[in-house]
Amino acid sequence: MRAFLFLLKYSYRNLWRSKSRSLILIFSLSFGTGFIIWDLNFATSGSREVMKEFLSQYAGFYQVTHPDYYSKTAKNVFSIYKTISDDDFKDQTLFPLSTKRVTSLAFISGEKKTLGVLLTGIDTEKEERLNKLKSSITEGRYLVRGERKEILLGKKLAMRIEAKVGSTVAVVGSSVDGSVANELMEVVGILDFGGGDLEEGLAFTQIETAQSFLAMAPERYHQRVSFDAINDEPPVLTNLSATSWKKLLPEIAVSVRFIDNFTWIVSIIMVMVLSLGLSNTFTITFFEREKEFKSLNILGASSRFITMSLFLEVFLLGTISVVIGIVFGFIATTICSFYPINIELFTGGKPILMGGMVIRPLVKFYPESQYYWQVPLMIYFFLLLSLVYPLIRLIQRRKNVA
Amino acid sequence: MSLELKNIEKIYSSSLENTVYGAKDINLKIDDQDFVAFVGPSGSGKTTLLNLIAGLILPTKGEILFDRQAITHLSLEERTAHRLSHMGFIFQDYQLLPVLTAEENVEFPLQLKNMNQKEIKERVSWALEKVGLGSLHNRFPRELSGGQQQRVSIARAIASKPRLILADEPTANLDSKTAQEIIDLFKKLNQELGLSFIFSTHDQRLIDQVKTIYYIKDGSIHEKKTH
Repeated sequence: MRAFLFLLKYSYRNLWRSKSRSLILIFSLSFGTGFIIWDLNFATSGSREVMKEFLSQYAGFYQVTHPDYYSKTAKNVFSIYKTISDDDFKDQTLFPLSTKRVTSLAFISGEKKTLGVLLTGIDTEKEERLNKLKSSITEGRYLVRGERKEILLGKKLAMRIEAKVGSTVAVVGSSVDGSVANELMEVVGILDFGGGDLEEGLAFTQIETAQSFLAMAPERYHQRVSFDAINDEPPVLTNLSATSWKKLLPEIAVSVRFIDNFTWIVSIIMVMVLSLGLSNTFTITFFEREKEFKSLNILGASSRFITMSLFLEVFLLGTISVVIGIVFGFIATTICSFYPINIELFTGGKPILMGGMVIRPLVKFYPESQYYWQVPLMIYFFLLLSLVYPLIRLIQRRKNVA
Repeated sequence: MSLELKNIEKIYSSSLENTVYGAKDINLKIDDQDFVAFVGPSGSGKTTLLNLIAGLILPTKGEILFDRQAITHLSLEERTAHRLSHMGFIFQDYQLLPVLTAEENVEFPLQLKNMNQKEIKERVSWALEKVGLGSLHNRFPRELSGGQQQRVSIARAIASKPRLILADEPTANLDSKTAQEIIDLFKKLNQELGLSFIFSTHDQRLIDQVKTIYYIKDGSIHEKKTH
């Protein structure tokens, strides 16, 4: 232990032999550490905010349905015959930030054209509180509660079937009793999601209208959509099925995962490049100190001792850098958790279109604690890796001399 | 302590036209308390001989016996451990570790030997006292004169109580007064502690003081003189 402390003292003092060189190395490493922590938090928080923004528009974070509502093989295939009611939630948490929905595939006919859409019956008052559907109405008004046979159409859908606010459209579908459902509904509002394909395939009506249209009992519905969490896994329920947005919108979940993984890949490449530079610096430094290593060896220091002292020097360099880097990263991340970053700074002022919706989030940071150990671990790993080549060269040269 | 070099040959490079010898047909024996110098011009092979004795390089031919044990058969790490146990070194340019104080420099080989702290302290004080540097123990090498640095280097060499000290041009970088002081110190340590010394030198003052002189020329012992 005493010998180790002596070695530690020796290595620490050696670290400061060339102050300017060590300070430059420490600055590079600590800046790199801090920046990567900030950047990973930015990517995670950014994708989280984008998702939050997107899901809170109307999709929701997870849905509770009948276990057989969605096809086991394809999540976008569903059965209108598999309904649920509030009774199914007995002895189970009835999610406070959730709303009931009735969904059906239907044909909507305007004056000249008929198109297939996903007609969703919504609890107008709850949806108004929980999501931003109402704010997407650019023409007309929001739905009024009750079986009033009103309908909201996506902007593109309205254009294609040539329907306007005040027009009457014919809606045809399949009822749960097996009969043909048909209803005339009044267009009361036009939804503008930013010009995406979503506008072409969505229509909303009151849940009461949808239940009547599908010949469902008033207490029955298809989905309870929750708006209360993004990262939490959906709860496990008895006789019901909870499906997260990740399963319902897999292509978007993959995009989010890609952003997170890509940021990691970029960070790793950045540290790899940094470690190549460090490896070169260490090689030069070790060659400069070759005479000293030879003297150490003459005095009786084994190769293990010399390697250990160099390893400790680099470890100390890494530790000082990583500690400063963590402080940098923490400060930058904390500042950004109080002062959100407008993501449009990175898109040249243009909005982001996701899943057919326009997203304009301010990225507020939610610092992820795991980055404070994952990033330093990565820095240590590459720092030690950068020692391999100079050490091999040093040992080879020593063996050649001997 | 006995050191014997038997038919030692060291070839640095060899080709059909030319063979460069660092040492050739070297046979010599050094005993306890010997005070020996290898003398010769630059490139004659003095340092090669010291390096061979220290086990820093291996001979191309021949055998080196330390206490009748062949060190030429030892591995690189075994030779390092052998040096640590039995030899002390003094260099022309002192080779003190700049980041360590005088005291810590002397402590260095003792730490390598994993000795206990109490013994290390005693040995360091003893060695620094022996070389007359007791009061300068906390100074870094850059704060010491050339003579003082060489004294620290001597203290470091004797601290682990080796049986053989190898000194490569130990007075070459010193002024004549300091050089004489250092030579006197070597003599005192040789007589008082019974240490064997092997010098590589062309300092006449040191040559005049040694018991045995080996004149080296082109890697071979050209002449041996005894005072």
